[in-house]
Amino acid sequence: MSGSTSTPAGAPPVYAVESLVIDLYTPTLSVRAVDGASFHVAPGETLAVVGESGSGKTVMTLGPLGLLPEGVAVDLRGAARADGRDLLTMPAKDLSALRGGYFGVIFQDPISALNPMLKIGPQLARQAELYQGLSPEAARKEAVSLLARSGIPDPEDRFSRYPHELSGGMLQRAMIALALAARPRVLIADEPTTALDATVQAQILSLIRQIQKEDGIAVILITHDIGAVSVLADRVMVLYAGQVAEEGVAVDVLTDPIHPYTRGLLASVPDFRSETAVGTREIPGLPPNQASLEAGCRFVDRCDRARPGCRTRRPELTAVRRGTAARRVACPVVLEEEGISHG
Amino acid sequence: MNMRSWPWAVLTPAVLFVLVGLFAPLLMTQDPAAQDYGAILQGPSATHFLGTDYLGRDMFSRIIGGARTSLTAMTVVLAAALAIGVVIGSFAGYVGGRTELVLISLIDIALALPSLIIALALIGVFSGDAWTWLSDFWKMVIALTLAWWANYARMSRAVVVAELQQPYIEAARVMGASHLWIFARHILPHVLGLVVVYASADAGALVLAIATLSFLGLGVAPPTPEWGQILVDGMSYIEEYPSLVIIPGLALTAVVVSFNLLGEAFALQKVPRAVRGGLLRRKRAARAAEETARKAAEAVEARA
Amino acid sequence: MADTPAIAARGVKVHFRTAAGLVRAVDGVDLTVPAGAFHGIVGESGCGKTTLARALIGLQPATSGEVRIVGRDRAEWQRSDRLGFARAVQFVFQDPLGSMSRRQTVGQTLEEPLLIHGSGNAVQRRARIAELLDLVALPASVLDRLPRSLSGGQRQRVAIARALALGPQLLIADEPLSALDVSVRAQIVNLFARLRDQLGLTIVIVAHDLAIVREVCSDVTVMYLGRVAEEGATKPLFADPAHPYSQALLSAVPSPDPRIEAVRPRVLLAGDPPSPRNPPPGCRFSTRCPVAEPACRTEEPALRAVIHGGRAACLLADAARHARIAHA
Repeated sequence: MSGSTSTPAGAPPVYAVESLVIDLYTPTLSVRAVDGASFHVAPGETLAVVGESGSGKTVMTLGPLGLLPEGVAVDLRGAARADGRDLLTMPAKDLSALRGGYFGVIFQDPISALNPMLKIGPQLARQAELYQGLSPEAARKEAVSLLARSGIPDPEDRFSRYPHELSGGMLQRAMIALALAARPRVLIADEPTTALDATVQAQILSLIRQIQKEDGIAVILITHDIGAVSVLADRVMVLYAGQVAEEGVAVDVLTDPIHPYTRGLLASVPDFRSETAVGTREIPGLPPNQASLEAGCRFVDRCDRARPGCRTRRPELTAVRRGTAARRVACPVVLEEEGISHG
Repeated sequence: MNMRSWPWAVLTPAVLFVLVGLFAPLLMTQDPAAQDYGAILQGPSATHFLGTDYLGRDMFSRIIGGARTSLTAMTVVLAAALAIGVVIGSFAGYVGGRTELVLISLIDIALALPSLIIALALIGVFSGDAWTWLSDFWKMVIALTLAWWANYARMSRAVVVAELQQPYIEAARVMGASHLWIFARHILPHVLGLVVVYASADAGALVLAIATLSFLGLGVAPPTPEWGQILVDGMSYIEEYPSLVIIPGLALTAVVVSFNLLGEAFALQKVPRAVRGGLLRRKRAARAAEETARKAAEAVEARA
Repeated sequence: MADTPAIAARGVKVHFRTAAGLVRAVDGVDLTVPAGAFHGIVGESGCGKTTLARALIGLQPATSGEVRIVGRDRAEWQRSDRLGFARAVQFVFQDPLGSMSRRQTVGQTLEEPLLIHGSGNAVQRRARIAELLDLVALPASVLDRLPRSLSGGQRQRVAIARALALGPQLLIADEPLSALDVSVRAQIVNLFARLRDQLGLTIVIVAHDLAIVREVCSDVTVMYLGRVAEEGATKPLFADPAHPYSQALLSAVPSPDPRIEAVRPRVLLAGDPPSPRNPPPGCRFSTRCPVAEPACRTEEPALRAVIHGGRAACLLADAARHARIAHA
């Protein structure tokens, strides 16, 4: 389970997580939300973290930054590196500074991330002042230009609007502008388009892609929307019940999935442009109960390829040779049965 | 849900009050109204656990009898106020429109005046000649009920209005449910759930109001033992025999505080809290053990 | 009955009076759904699709217009025979959890419609509930659980089972998939399709997931700002939409295949849909339409026959040709 796969850009990763384990404790439940996951993202690269609700995709990506569910006791183990430092052992104050400056985060629900009592522009300007060290006047200019860059028409006017005066699409753009105000190295977008309409979704996705091209920043897209992955991602990581099922270059994984879960997930997503679609297939059953730690593969109960050994053997993430670049798959059964060679 | 760490012991006076009130006849060692001029103003003894008052009445039995009087009055007032409040409030909330407006205004007026003032005014009305057929006890109960219902009416209406907006009410409507069905099956349980909880915490204030009225001579008439009255009786002897005031005063304070804390407990229940301390340590240990077991199982498999 | 449409709506308008002015959520919609159809209503938020669905079943009083359900006037039917109407038409809500009482177990939730309609004794009701669980493929073990403790997919199955309890002919579902995970959406949509075949239901589903509508619906209505933009049989309409808005809407849906995504032409509409509070004059899409002509801003287009056999409300579209924006 090493994260030594080289990135397309070839540059060293700006955010790397190694063997991360996250346990969540509530008065009634103990949940292993992330069970030994590793990932990394390089400048200019988009990594999509794909999984269904409860798969641990959000807590895996944002947990090391200290963005964790409230009212829950959390244990993190493993390593998370950014800016040459370990986030898990860093003092809370430093982590908070890194979170605001080095990482920019776009949430699913922009209205909750913006202060409803303050006008949009001053919120942006403050962020730019704080993290870019700009003077108040320069910060104001920066805020207007950020709004313009985020595709907000008439940015001078929107500067002095309150969040509630903006439509959903415009708010998401303002949220993106806020995330960019600190000039982050890593932009994390947590379900950025889920709450938006189709035509607005397309606008936001293309905006994120454009910003990434211009600034060369790393983007992590947390989503369950395969369409968004297909538009944005260079690499994809598929998460199932807190474990990595498959990871590789987006084109490879989306067009030629290997892990049975990835295959099932993609088969359940209809594509109306493809005439070969033979109806919406479904993965039977439900995700497992993550309250208990069990040996073996977590997908075994829903898997059509399961063998008796799958219940006891832990499926190691194995590098394989198939498609255009390195790929890792956590299913020895498919690798063996289909003669996919280790790489 | 995190009630385990809550100091439940503070509810002892309230529980004791209810139990003592219920079983008063069994607990009283003497007739609380029986006077014994041969034994006035005595200290605690084997026959009189808490001594006697200026008429030689047994304080222990009078405190217990007072609990019963308070409990009876409180229960009747709460039940009646609840019934009136829930009916008026729910009706206002469910029907809406002009009816609701009129009823809300009525509730607001009732709420704007302190309950005790309303009760005093009503007792004043009841003191007229036309009301002599009504005993002082019932005058007090009716006055307190009429002073108390508005709070429950306001809460009931709020719950009804909130619940009516829930999609499951629409779902019931789509299924063809009648208004009566929707109200009885879906809305009333929610209303009662909240209002009864609130009322139980409100009991303290009511016990205090009953004692206050009796203290002012407007509540329970003398020979019936009542804490407010015991206080009045003791007042004249406060310098020489302070226990005559301290004992009923303590009983009253403990019960009122205890009921108020019960309300606090209900409020706290709604605040979610993270696991901490011993529970968290146990959970971590359990998780670590699971992990070791899993590793072992997988190691066996790997060797095979 | 075969010829009587399950739904025949004429000139339905739903206007709301709000503090900010009159909202024309649905503003003159005709809709015909033949018996046995699986009809999809699609569009973006604010297009009035949910309001229309609610108006069809009387959850939302219509400002004007007429809705006939299997030939009977909806308003009159509901007034004179509330229970009979409920047995004929049922509704599935967007949020399955919210649509069930949080105090009732699944068993009580499923029993409620039977109790309301006084159907059967306790034994018969239990048998019917078992039948319903079977229909939606849920195990009997869910009966004693509270909705809260079920997964999203299981909750929606319970909601569907409850809607089927009275044996309706017509099922209207408002965004029944949007609260669900991707792989579960497929399960639920397949369940709808199976129920239609098995029970001979007519199903109307409001959705924003176009790909799924294309998979399962026989017919589709595309709405924009309270009006019907285009309607027709799903496959031909999706293959060659006549209305520029339908084209843009379909173009906005990314392909799950990055190879297609990398090369396909895309239309990005500018801005958000205008507010239904003051819809633009003329064609309502003219403010965002890349091919709008001056006439579009003054003349309101009526629905007329277009190439794919359905109808579209676009001045530039008729039975012979229509404007194509995808390659613009």
